[in-house]
Amino acid sequence: MSVIGTSVTRKEAPNKVTGRARYTDDVNVPGTWHAVMVPSQQAHARIMAINTESAQNVAGVKAVLTGCDVAILTGDVIEDRPPLAHEKVRYWGEPVALVVAHDEASARRAAGLIEVRYQPLKVVNSIQEALAANAPLIHERISEYQVATPPAYPKRASNLADEANVVKGDVDMVWEQSAIRVQVRVKLPQVDHAAMEPRVAKAEILADGRVLIHSNTQAPYEVQKLLAKYFHLDPGQIIVQVPLIGGAFGGKATVHLEILAYLASKAVGGHAVKIANTREADLASSPVGMGLEADIGLAATKDGRLMAAKMRYFMDIGAYADSAPRIARAIAAQCTGPYKIEHLHADVYCVYTNHTYTTAFRGFGHMPMTFAIERAMDELARTLHIDPLELRERNALAPGDTTPTQARLTRSNLGDLPLAIDHMRTLIHWNGPTPRVVDDRHIRATGVAAFWKTSSSPPNAISGAIVTMNGDGSVNLSIGAVEFGAASKTTAAQILAEQLRIPLERVFIREEVNTHVDPEHWKTVASLSTYMVGRAVLDAANDLIRQLKDLAATVLRCSADDLDYGNEKLFVRDDPSIQLKFSDLALGYKYQEGDSIGGQLMGRGHFMIRHLNLLDQETGQGRPGPAWTVGVQAVEVEYDRMTHQYQILTAASVIDAGRVINPAAAVGQVMGGMNMGLGVASREVIHYDAQGQFLSNQFRTYRLMRVGEQPQEYRVEFVETPQVDSPFGARPLGEHGVLAIGAALANALSSAAEVPLNTLPLTPEAIWQARRRRLHYDTV
Amino acid sequence: MRSLTGPQAMTLTINGDARQVVVYPGETLLYTLRGDALGLTGAKPGCENGDCGACTVLIEQMPVKSCMVLTVEVEGSDITTVEGLQHAPIQQAFIDHGAFQCGYCTSGFLMVGHALSQQPDHDQGRLVEWLRSNICRCTSYQEITDAVRAVCSEIES
Amino acid sequence: MIPFDLFYYRPDTVDEALQAYGDLVRQHRHPAFYAGGTEILTRSRVQDVHIDAVIDLKAIPSLRIHRDDGQTLQLGAALRLTEVADLNLWPLLTATADRIADYTARRQITLGGNLLSVLPYREAVLPFLLMDSAKVELATQHGLQTRRFADVWDTALNLNPGEFLVSLRVDSQEARNLTFRSHKMTRLDWIDYPLVTIALAQPASGRVRAAFSGWNSYPFHSSTVDQILSDVSRSPQARAADAVSNMPMPAVSDIHGSAEYRQFVTQYTLSDMLTELEES
Repeated sequence: MSVIGTSVTRKEAPNKVTGRARYTDDVNVPGTWHAVMVPSQQAHARIMAINTESAQNVAGVKAVLTGCDVAILTGDVIEDRPPLAHEKVRYWGEPVALVVAHDEASARRAAGLIEVRYQPLKVVNSIQEALAANAPLIHERISEYQVATPPAYPKRASNLADEANVVKGDVDMVWEQSAIRVQVRVKLPQVDHAAMEPRVAKAEILADGRVLIHSNTQAPYEVQKLLAKYFHLDPGQIIVQVPLIGGAFGGKATVHLEILAYLASKAVGGHAVKIANTREADLASSPVGMGLEADIGLAATKDGRLMAAKMRYFMDIGAYADSAPRIARAIAAQCTGPYKIEHLHADVYCVYTNHTYTTAFRGFGHMPMTFAIERAMDELARTLHIDPLELRERNALAPGDTTPTQARLTRSNLGDLPLAIDHMRTLIHWNGPTPRVVDDRHIRATGVAAFWKTSSSPPNAISGAIVTMNGDGSVNLSIGAVEFGAASKTTAAQILAEQLRIPLERVFIREEVNTHVDPEHWKTVASLSTYMVGRAVLDAANDLIRQLKDLAATVLRCSADDLDYGNEKLFVRDDPSIQLKFSDLALGYKYQEGDSIGGQLMGRGHFMIRHLNLLDQETGQGRPGPAWTVGVQAVEVEYDRMTHQYQILTAASVIDAGRVINPAAAVGQVMGGMNMGLGVASREVIHYDAQGQFLSNQFRTYRLMRVGEQPQEYRVEFVETPQVDSPFGARPLGEHGVLAIGAALANALSSAAEVPLNTLPLTPEAIWQARRRRLHYDTV
Repeated sequence: MRSLTGPQAMTLTINGDARQVVVYPGETLLYTLRGDALGLTGAKPGCENGDCGACTVLIEQMPVKSCMVLTVEVEGSDITTVEGLQHAPIQQAFIDHGAFQCGYCTSGFLMVGHALSQQPDHDQGRLVEWLRSNICRCTSYQEITDAVRAVCSEIES
Repeated sequence: MIPFDLFYYRPDTVDEALQAYGDLVRQHRHPAFYAGGTEILTRSRVQDVHIDAVIDLKAIPSLRIHRDDGQTLQLGAALRLTEVADLNLWPLLTATADRIADYTARRQITLGGNLLSVLPYREAVLPFLLMDSAKVELATQHGLQTRRFADVWDTALNLNPGEFLVSLRVDSQEARNLTFRSHKMTRLDWIDYPLVTIALAQPASGRVRAAFSGWNSYPFHSSTVDQILSDVSRSPQARAADAVSNMPMPAVSDIHGSAEYRQFVTQYTLSDMLTELEES
């Protein structure tokens, strides 16, 4: 009857195919007013004046707010971001004013009438421009900023929000002694999460002081905490409710619109106010995913053993830091990829630019980081004439090794990359990287790349679960993880059903999260729900079983130790005919005489991450996450040597899943992840013009993959090396499909086009340009 | 000549029912459907620019992006939304093939897939051409095309 | 949603439409003729235009006309692009128009709407640029007027305020007796604005004619380019290369592609199309 390892339909599926699934903007309090933001039309400028008079005069307008009305700074790690631009704007699209009106049309009309007078400043339009001597400072008062969540080290009088370093071994000596060295420089643009549901937040302040927030956030408890902090409220006053979310990918973990919604409601006496992003605002004004430039140097022996690495990563974090310092540490801690490199120096810089600010993006920095290291690995394989899969297998980290930040690896916390690589060979009929000729124009080539990732979560991340019983013996499960498509609710229900030995249908789980009643879960990020929520659910299940046994023991006049359970019954182990149904106990036990004992049974469970540290400032030493997920991915392309156009024939992944809880859902997560990773690598890019104007603010200019452009075939396999402290051994899996697939595509195309392709996106033009540059280089 | 200014009381035929609504001439069909009076929130705003297809409904059985049509234009037309699908094979096929994760684009894809399955001709080329009107960010698209193809071939046989 | 108090008129005749426009202007409104609506809705939403009255032309029968009487092929301006393709009265137009936007969008976009779009691409223009016999039927304050397409077109169809497009006409024989190719090249995606869309047409006896969209800010046809492409004594590759260096204006650089890359793509696409055209 095991529901673990069984493909079950997600709980909310029937609602999602009937239009009955409710998302944040689907249910509104009648009479909700609308707030509309006025985006900056400059990327870097001083605000000289804002004329709101004509906007105020539009019928239906209730309030107009500007940065002068809101004297706070916000931010996850560094408090550097005013909710509404104050004194200056730092990116095109930054909210400079907020209009609240009875209806959306009036608010939009009024927003269009607000005149902002700017004095343009020199725009910092790239990492190079930000780091140049005498670069204009984006944050003049950087040294006055509060670091809300250490560590982060903003550098005074610079555009560096933070820097993270890893030092291990004696890199300088080993570097010089190594026989082979390769250098790769990669450049990746900012990209957008492009969740199909734009961000939306609603706020209402009741007369009794309670603040009701509805939002499609991945971090409802963070919204609660930060609003309480910024506006001096008691956390208990703030109730955050999150229904189903229409895709998130990290982009909904920032507390952003919730602050504006609260300010808007407060400005109109607490009336219910909604702020819903247009797609244009969702792309340009709300945070995007970082850009990255990196220099990777690898030193190896002639037989392909990695000896040393020197790396520098520059993140284009845009105008505000948000979670960039955390991402920088995640990159630093995993910078080698899943390979053993004992002598290492890596510096990761968070660089402010006048681009849209950035936040977590599926993979938390590991996707661009993996691109860098995996391009370097392929260049090393090419230089050494070693099979690229072989090179990766030979250098794979093993139990007993330590990570770049000197965390000790075990079979449980690492998994088995060599086994995954071995499966990949069979899965794609691996024949090496040499392209195969199809006809006089077309050739086929396969690229591979490997990844690893851990959670990079704070050392005190918590989760909880509450299970209550219904009179018929079925159970209700309450958790703090939101549902944005990763089936986290269904997985939690599966874990509970398995532990209680009941059918999945007997577990009822709410689609939404309400911070007032659901136990806190840190944030629904980092693919950690199965692990953290799962552990809390197991704890709650065990608590409930204990209560069932205790009550049953009393009724059956035996010791709780004599009892076992199954089929929604408790029974005496050596005589199962002595038994009670769950339903006999769920709401208390009623004796024949009518007197009763017990009460509603409810299990409570909690979980706290253990043994993690903040990384040391000098060396990076510390443990960044409870365990890693490793995997290898491959892409086969057919490439036209004349036009440089290509088709993706196959995309494949082999991932160490620890234990697959829901096979169909797991395969779907990985396939979808591969598609997203391939979209990012092949076509996605945010363009800015010379003045820093955001040019990609619609799906006409920010192109996403569509039907017919996906790989012709997907292949997904799992190996299962249990993570012993995780429910049923399961490892995180939600983000991982994206991590190395872009690097695999670049490796395939680099082989096919016979030119290193280290810049994204990999459009035919990019390949054409790279080949032209190389031709020029060869002839000079 | 029909001339409409200011709020208009009109009758729309939605999912087989005649529904009385008051609409402003500047309202898109998406806005009207999702409004308090009808509450048909299955059609989603994803871009309101005709690019993503999350708001797709059927007008006279054919797919239309409801953000790209004024409600006053479809007075008298037969409108079908996802709420009007009554155990259509496409719905179970989407569940069976795992053709959605977050579910936000699902209504739009369902409507395109359903309309296509009702067409006399739904070869592979047409299937791709219709489905590429919509965007999904979660799945790999293979699940969606598999689900639609399964329903189309079932109807054929 | 159009965030203005919109007036919506749906006239049944051309005269009513003209009358409505005049009335609205006199009332100091900002009217626009409306058919598919995609451009007006998208631009109004982001307040790129201020339109507070639309005159929906779709109910006027003469804008929905489609016929080929053997002499004249006539297509109403309010036909949807999918209708133009399904009717397939003019296969060259079908081939070009069927690559605009996406399928569902083409169920909204009208032929006239595409021809009069503010975007640079307007691919449906290309076939008309290739036909000497192409004519437009306009509704003007002086009644219906039929003019040569070439006389109304420079970089756009030049209509005066208050005028609208009723139908398009080409000579049946000219439209039918030609071999053609139409090809849209994008940065990468099937659904995207073109780096370049090329329509080639060759009458049974006559020169190759070529029209281009995406190369610059408006669709164009150039007799110099035609002349180069028609010189069958040279290889398609040589002609394509020569054509690209003799375009009447430079290629644009934008987020879809650089000017140099547009030249590269245009060259190999032209070459491939010439080869196909001459082999067929």
